[in-house]
Amino acid sequence: MNNMTFFVHTLILLLLQFVILDNIQLHSYVYINIYILSIYILPYRFRNVLTLLFGFLLGLIVDLANHTGGIHAAATTLLAYLRPYLLTLLLNREQLDEQQGKQKISDTGYFFKFVLVGTFIFNVVLIISEAFTFRNFSITLLRIICSTGVSIFFIMAYYFIALKRRKKAS
Amino acid sequence: MKEIIKLIVKYHFTIVFIVLEILSFSLIVMHNSYQRTVFSNATASVFGAISSTTSHIKNYFSLEKENEKLVAENTDLRNQLEKQKLLQGKVFSDSLSANIQPQYVFRNAEIVHSSFNKTKNYITINAGRDAGITEEMAVVGNEGVVGIVEKVTKHYAKVLPLINVDLRVSAKIQKNGYYGSLQWDGKDYRYSYLNDIPFHVDAVPGDTIVTSGFSSIFPEGELIGFVESVDRKTANFLTIKVKLAVDFKKVFQVYVIANTHKQELQELEAEAL
Repeated sequence: MNNMTFFVHTLILLLLQFVILDNIQLHSYVYINIYILSIYILPYRFRNVLTLLFGFLLGLIVDLANHTGGIHAAATTLLAYLRPYLLTLLLNREQLDEQQGKQKISDTGYFFKFVLVGTFIFNVVLIISEAFTFRNFSITLLRIICSTGVSIFFIMAYYFIALKRRKKAS
Repeated sequence: MKEIIKLIVKYHFTIVFIVLEILSFSLIVMHNSYQRTVFSNATASVFGAISSTTSHIKNYFSLEKENEKLVAENTDLRNQLEKQKLLQGKVFSDSLSANIQPQYVFRNAEIVHSSFNKTKNYITINAGRDAGITEEMAVVGNEGVVGIVEKVTKHYAKVLPLINVDLRVSAKIQKNGYYGSLQWDGKDYRYSYLNDIPFHVDAVPGDTIVTSGFSSIFPEGELIGFVESVDRKTANFLTIKVKLAVDFKKVFQVYVIANTHKQELQELEAEAL
């Protein structure tokens, strides 16, 4: 995926987030965040400080739109920081070398694992920094799990509609 | 310096991450009133805990001084109480109140030596003739009766405690006023025995035993202990095992009680003989 299509995707994701998903209220326990998908589909060579800055800026934009202070920024920065480790962790070293420079998002199984772990970590930070307490931790945990599940559902939906097909076409 | 720069270059990814996270969390705390409240509460409780610990430690060093102050105050209060008791009895002659000498005067002292494992135990206190202590004055602790002054030197006094087989103290059961004499059996420093209580008297474990006030040494109603068990050894009298209120292994601060009417009383009683 080149930079251009990546930015287009990012824009679309942010628009989706602000225009549609932020207006869906499933339950006060559940947050749907699809925009973090653009961190997953970052061009692979972005493996440095730029990733972090991008993650932070992305979170900050969402924060500004939602008036949530730095909650999203904190979560996306962590996600961007962990991204390289997740990539090497979920993929063994050989596979990574093999696919170096290429996007590996066409592999649904791998991509799903990546999204699952990443989204879970993202929601842990997001919801704990929003709750800002360890009291009623069972409720916090429930919110994390629900939000992770629903977010992954929407992310995978977008993946199948926009990304997977595009990959096949190219 | 070079090393530091190397280190920074090596870990720049993590350092930038940490900086951005700190930035995020400062944003969270600054822009969200709820998180700000939680944050300031948490910091306040941390610093509150620290300052309360330090003040605890500081207090510990001034404990002795505080103790002395409290003891002085206690002595003063007990003296005032005696005066008050007296005033209550003489309501009609209040013009004399300034000159009224209370019957009992309290002076505080500390135990400098004590024994509790013999049959004839003694306690030495650090107040003597110079402090106005004379023989046959009563000694009480904060918990209750300790004993009677036996011998006085210039700066010290020897006290015959309740746990000495030679001491007999007139004591009564507080709830019904039956009195007998309290004498130690020389065994356990925690228990003494109240004899000469008629067998029909209702005494159950837990009853309070106080001084009777007949001996002209102790004021009436000073706490001695509590009934532990009741035994009828002889045909007509009960033997009551009393758990002493004062723990003689622990007692340290005592008050010496002077009865200012003692001489008068003794003179009167001598005349009667």
